[in-house]
Amino acid sequence: MVDVLRFESPVTTIYPTGETEDLTLGDLSEITKQIVRADSKTAAAEQLAVTFGSSRIDGDVIVLGQRPDEFLLVGTPTATASLVEGLDRSGHVSVIDHTHSRAMFRLTGSNASATLEKLCSVDWSEPMTPNGAVVSASLAKVGCDIARLDRGPDRSYLIACDRSFAQYLFDAIIDAGNEFDIAVVALAPTLV
Amino acid sequence: MLLVPCPNCGPRNSADLRYFGESHERPNPASASPHEWRSYLYLEDNPADWLKESWFCRSGCRRYFTLERHTGTNEFRSPPMPGNKVGGKA
Ligand SMILES: [Zn+2]
Repeated sequence: MVDVLRFESPVTTIYPTGETEDLTLGDLSEITKQIVRADSKTAAAEQLAVTFGSSRIDGDVIVLGQRPDEFLLVGTPTATASLVEGLDRSGHVSVIDHTHSRAMFRLTGSNASATLEKLCSVDWSEPMTPNGAVVSASLAKVGCDIARLDRGPDRSYLIACDRSFAQYLFDAIIDAGNEFDIAVVALAPTLV
Repeated sequence: MLLVPCPNCGPRNSADLRYFGESHERPNPASASPHEWRSYLYLEDNPADWLKESWFCRSGCRRYFTLERHTGTNEFRSPPMPGNKVGGKA
């Protein structure tokens, strides 16, 4: 019998599923994450077509401008691979797969921004961080890349951090969301 | 809490940045004397006045930048703001 290699999430604590769906936290760590470093003058940066602090959905991939000259591609393995393959590598361009070094969570619900406000000093109000906004900041003192990617009428945030801090950060978000009856949900590793 | 205006990220809690101290022009390595190097590396003006200083945006854009801060009032002078806006008091 052949053992099939499975992705092992850094988040191993099992939380009971809550009663409410008004605020949910899910582990998306298995989703493919590629970091592209490309100088703003390169053809690759032009192809990725987002500026620092904004994002763009390209089929099954979301392209996040997470730092000046640095992009995070998140999506299905095939879609991110084909986007990376199509990149013009001329000039100062590098691509590194961070699927196994970065964890990712999704926090969704009407109290999602109120939960983040308890952990982070960034202004999560509509004018400062509209849908699609990307912010790098510390969340419970952990350096994170956070993107607002609403699901229909609900506020939703993708939160990425280093794998070694993932369990701690997951627990910290649960602590902050307890007053809003946060529920842990299982998520398929896709953006939909 | 000190709100530091990062030119890329906007106003951020100073705990999310690293303070790199006074910003002075680096002497020319080809011609600087040991005294000039010591002065550049170790000596500070430490005024109770406007001061040009370096910051590193550790949790945000991970860029170094220079700001002018009044060491008496913690006011930032014409800080560069994201989107080429020029802010007033941070
Ligand atoms: Zn910054």
